[in-house]
Amino acid sequence: MDDREVDQQLVERAQRGDKHAFELLIIKYQRRLARLISRFVRDGAEVEDVTQEAFIKAYRALPGFRGESAFYTWLYRIGINTAKNYLLAFKRRVPTTTIIDSDEAENFEEASLLREVDTPENELMSKQVVNVVNSSLLQLPDDLRIALSLREIEGLSYEEIADVMNCPIGTVRSRIFRAREVIAENLRPLLGTNSDNRW
Amino acid sequence: MKQHISALMDGELFDDEAEELFDRLKANPEAQEEWRMYHLISDALYQPGRLRADISKTMRDRLQAEPTVLAPRRTATHSARWFALSAAASVLAISLVAWLSMEIGSDSMPQMATAQQLATLQTASLHLNTNLPSNNGLNDYLMAHQEFSPSINVQGAASYMRTMARQ
Repeated sequence: MDDREVDQQLVERAQRGDKHAFELLIIKYQRRLARLISRFVRDGAEVEDVTQEAFIKAYRALPGFRGESAFYTWLYRIGINTAKNYLLAFKRRVPTTTIIDSDEAENFEEASLLREVDTPENELMSKQVVNVVNSSLLQLPDDLRIALSLREIEGLSYEEIADVMNCPIGTVRSRIFRAREVIAENLRPLLGTNSDNRW
Repeated sequence: MKQHISALMDGELFDDEAEELFDRLKANPEAQEEWRMYHLISDALYQPGRLRADISKTMRDRLQAEPTVLAPRRTATHSARWFALSAAASVLAISLVAWLSMEIGSDSMPQMATAQQLATLQTASLHLNTNLPSNNGLNDYLMAHQEFSPSINVQGAASYMRTMARQ
């Protein structure tokens, strides 16, 4: 099964009343959706509100989702509409530079983001998390770093990575897992274990 | 299980493995934390410029307040049902056409046969009434000219016997 089929399985579970399945989809897409919405809404708190609203709208609309498009395409379309409606409700102008199609929404350039206003705490935490992840990646052994980079940055499948690295698929799976575990271990002290942790 | 979670988020598990893991993720909060952590790492690598706080815990509370959605399954069962319905409709249509053509054929052919038979009988009857002698005269005529009959002897004898029996 591919990534889209994983989403479809989770959607079907949610359509059968499994809210937990939809939570897994939220965890998966929350930051990508927020990033998309930040093209419309400038304030960090507002981005969060609109993102939550978009997820709730998507949840309510789940019975109508037939899987004709990918879940994320459908979700992004809801996100764009929610952001536009939010701006209209407050009689604010929809930025003209944000006329984007939901199919290509995932790939827009970071430079085209609005200058976002967020709390200093969030900005600091964001930078720290990114720094730990990137420095951990650089310190990984070559085989782990290359496997994870090919997967996360280049978007290659395990089979393609196995071809590139000339190793079995099982080895690719193991290397990517080990790479994630090393980075996770370095992140845990920063994130803490308290229940109000928001990262 | 962690390695399976890592493979699942990459879409590299088989369907049945994924279904099993979804159940385990639901039952095991620690496993869900791994799912959350691996996605945070993924997001940090994918969007290095800007990372946002996790809203999934807030969303969990909001989802709990929402009425549970329920939708009918629309997977292979759906297409199979449509295929079966289409096939049944096709068979029904073919059967209807075949039945109609048989009905039309069986009604018209006897009518045609009856009409032809009636015309033949009328012609024969007319011919007999006008050209042949009466029944007694005919028998005498046949008896007298039996030796000139082109038929074989047996047939001639049979004809003779039929004539005599009638008399």
